[in-house]
Amino acid sequence: MARLYQVPHHAFMWLLLAVLMATLPHLMRAPGWMMVVVPVLLCWRFLVQRGRLRMPGKIIRATLMVVAVLATLYSYGTLLGPEAGVALLVVAFALKTLEMFRLRDAYVVIILACFVLATTFLFNRDPLTTVYVGVVLVLVMAALVGINHAQSGASSWGHLRLGGALVLQALPLMMVLFVLVPRFPPLWNMQLNPERARTGMSDSMAPGEISNLSRSAEPAFRVEFEGEVPPPALRYWRGLTYSWFDGRRWSQAAPQHTARLEYVRFPDEATPPWYASLLSARGEPEWRYRVIMERTGRQWLYALSVPFTDKSGVGVARDKRLVSRFEIDSTFDYRVESYRFPVAVEGLEEWERQLNVSLPSSGNLRTRRLAEQWHQEAGSDRAFIDRLLRWFNEEPFFYTLEPPLLAEDTVDDFIFRSRRGFCEHYSSAFAFMLRAAGIPARIVAGYQGGELNRLGNHLMVRQYDAHVWVEAWLPAQGWVEFDPTAAVAPSRVEFGLDQALSDFGEQAGGFGANLRRNPLFSRLSHMTDYMDFVWSKWVLGYNQDSQFEILSRLLGQVNPQRIAVALVLAGGGVVLLVLGWVLWRSRTPGLSWWQKEHGRMLRLLNNRGVPLTQGTSPQGMVDAVAVSYPSAARLLQDWQRCYEHMAYRRPGQDPELLRRQLVLLRRKAAVAMRGAPRLMDKEA
Amino acid sequence: MKALRRRIRSLYQRWLQHRIPPSRRVQLGQRNIFIFPTGYGFLFLLIAALLFVAGINYENNLLLGFSFLLVSIFLMAILHTFRNLAGVVLIAGDLRPGFVGARGALEVRVQGGSYPHRSLTLHWPGSPAEDVSVEPGREESVWLSVNLTRRGREHPGRLRIDSRYPLGLLRTWSMIDLDSRCIAWPKPLPGGECPGTGGDDDSGRQAQDQGSEDFDGLRNYVAGDSLRSVDWKSYARGRGLNTKQFTDPAEGRLWLTWESLTGHDPEIRYSKLCYWVLELDREHRPYGLILPDSQLDPASGAAHRERALELLALSGGG
Repeated sequence: MARLYQVPHHAFMWLLLAVLMATLPHLMRAPGWMMVVVPVLLCWRFLVQRGRLRMPGKIIRATLMVVAVLATLYSYGTLLGPEAGVALLVVAFALKTLEMFRLRDAYVVIILACFVLATTFLFNRDPLTTVYVGVVLVLVMAALVGINHAQSGASSWGHLRLGGALVLQALPLMMVLFVLVPRFPPLWNMQLNPERARTGMSDSMAPGEISNLSRSAEPAFRVEFEGEVPPPALRYWRGLTYSWFDGRRWSQAAPQHTARLEYVRFPDEATPPWYASLLSARGEPEWRYRVIMERTGRQWLYALSVPFTDKSGVGVARDKRLVSRFEIDSTFDYRVESYRFPVAVEGLEEWERQLNVSLPSSGNLRTRRLAEQWHQEAGSDRAFIDRLLRWFNEEPFFYTLEPPLLAEDTVDDFIFRSRRGFCEHYSSAFAFMLRAAGIPARIVAGYQGGELNRLGNHLMVRQYDAHVWVEAWLPAQGWVEFDPTAAVAPSRVEFGLDQALSDFGEQAGGFGANLRRNPLFSRLSHMTDYMDFVWSKWVLGYNQDSQFEILSRLLGQVNPQRIAVALVLAGGGVVLLVLGWVLWRSRTPGLSWWQKEHGRMLRLLNNRGVPLTQGTSPQGMVDAVAVSYPSAARLLQDWQRCYEHMAYRRPGQDPELLRRQLVLLRRKAAVAMRGAPRLMDKEA
Repeated sequence: MKALRRRIRSLYQRWLQHRIPPSRRVQLGQRNIFIFPTGYGFLFLLIAALLFVAGINYENNLLLGFSFLLVSIFLMAILHTFRNLAGVVLIAGDLRPGFVGARGALEVRVQGGSYPHRSLTLHWPGSPAEDVSVEPGREESVWLSVNLTRRGREHPGRLRIDSRYPLGLLRTWSMIDLDSRCIAWPKPLPGGECPGTGGDDDSGRQAQDQGSEDFDGLRNYVAGDSLRSVDWKSYARGRGLNTKQFTDPAEGRLWLTWESLTGHDPEIRYSKLCYWVLELDREHRPYGLILPDSQLDPASGAAHRERALELLALSGGG
């Protein structure tokens, strides 16, 4: 067997570090066994390099691979899909490091490291991860430089410097490519993870679910307004409506036998009458803004009432909200114009009326009776609603994140007994009473509020802004929004959740909420939020639409020829700049370390009062010191000898050893000269 | 098919000859440097392409960005790889001759420019390669072995210098003709009569048959004496190890002549002469050399041997 390939020792640490760091983000997510196996394999590789262990034989490697495949299958139930695929890739990659028998294997490991590193972005997309990946890429490049450096005495730090320089020099060109290379829609549909975790609002609501969501400070979406930002009381972000109540749970519903076009219309589809009437009634938009949404795994989008958008694949629903054709699996941004309709324009179909007054056939009898009675007393729908809201406001209802559990008749139990609840309790009771009185009503789910970030002039809406409220059909006005929670806790709408809760002597979310109240923290969080915002908007959210927008601003007109010319000019320009810089730098040669050492000694002597000119030879230095500091003359002679060994390349000397000796001798000379009196030259 | 290939090769050689003409000193630059991705370079680009497709399909801008970064690194690597070779000066140096069928060596002096040139590989086609790194402003000397196939001046072909530093994704190379030639001595061919003539009498001499007329006496064996001249008979008789002393036939005027080897192929004549030069040299006996086109006066010693061998190598227009 031929001699085994040895990774040069000056490259090995970078190689191992790059492999370890490329796998690390994956290990954080991986099942427990991987967190043990991968580091153990890498340790093994390390000990092999040190000569403490041998490379495993074919049989052991094959066994390990089979075990890895089985373990992956056991952990994920499949080998396909990004999660399991990447896990298997990571283990196989770690195993491959134990198979470096030839230079070729080292190359393969390093190039695979790039791939493993990139797959990190399938799971994490924040700026920090990106910086981390950049750093690891520098290490990968350092390892690649190292294995291409044939000399055994090469310096590891030199590899790192060159690797870093390469990555830095590549960055401008990367940015040009990022901006200019045309984006096209997916070639085929890839579902990232079919069993994906869904976040945010759900398609149904039972008591206690929204209050759970309110404990999370995760961002839901950001809104960037063109022009004025609406005041807090108008920031009702509609997501979806719940029209079906089963006595406990409100759900999104559409009646059977109704064509989809009756309630959702996507672009490029025929215009149903309800949509036509909306279109014809709209005047000037009240708000214009852009929403940058985090991934939800859901189809509904959030917007102010009544929203229209030109985003492709996004339709408008009859209940005045936006719907995406596909589930939102990555950062998604869309431009919205919201209109206000003072009068009913779309009408109420009979199926719609029936759906929105329907109640379970039994249960909650006390509430039903009360509602019917009050409705008769009030005389009109409007008066009845006002009375209800007043009642919520005046009676001792409590706004709380921790409502007690409710009995089977949830509404009765809430209204007549517990009287402690969160928005879902108030909205549920309110809508129930309207329906009991025969008024069509439904629950609107979404977010209310949002924090204004002055840095980016955008609103940040977080999960704890989740809210539900009620819409009732009033014949003259159409669907009108009412917020019973605002009747109970007015500060919820004006100042947000924290303030509303503290009005009722409660604090939200413990530590996190306390921090939120700290001004310094809030400044910091505004800053990170702004960075996140910029990141989401310009990096994660840069897509066909925004590219088109930017290109048409840059190029005037977007067509393939212009893009090609821009690519060639900008890319070529950047390459030429780097080329110029590299050539310019190479014209001013860097001093070798011993030349620098010469300079240091010269400075030292000058500082000690031995005036010497820049070009003084080491021999000249020795002579001068022999006169001024006889006690240091010996040291300087030794120094000179080492220097000449190095400068004239006498064979048989280890350069690293010489370097250390030179530095040591210089330091000793410095000490010796500090203690000794300076003897003046006779001429001086 | 073969003819076509040969034709293409000769066209290529002609083009090379024109593009990079032979010279004793060549500075590498745009004109004579070639560059092309290695297999690993293509693998690297393939990974970038895969990530691009994944980025498009998952609508993941960071994946796209990463793939663009890989492509940009590759492009930057073109500059760096090229630069590693550009500015290197190659100078034809000394030579170390050898016998036909063995190896000689040629020295190539490699001078760096104002920045380091790392991991340069130099070799002649068909010979083992040597690695060298040159620090700024320095000169390194590399001895490259040359296979010697024919007596005379051996041109080893174009020197190939290549480098994959820093990333190994691209290979940059040049094929230069340093116009340096190694000298191939004839391969020594033992046996036969010594093609020598004494200056005084014209009869042929046979060194193996140490003729009694030239026998001059014995002296004590000294380390280094040829074992052939040991008086084994007296050793067997128990008189210790003695060396037979011969008088120099014709007083330093033993001539090895081309003429005395009639009836042989010229190359065989040179080979035989070569053998005798080495043989006589080992015995510290002076000899002269008469070749059809040159002559070397009798003498002995290493320098004399070298000159004799060189004459043998270059005689006959070799």
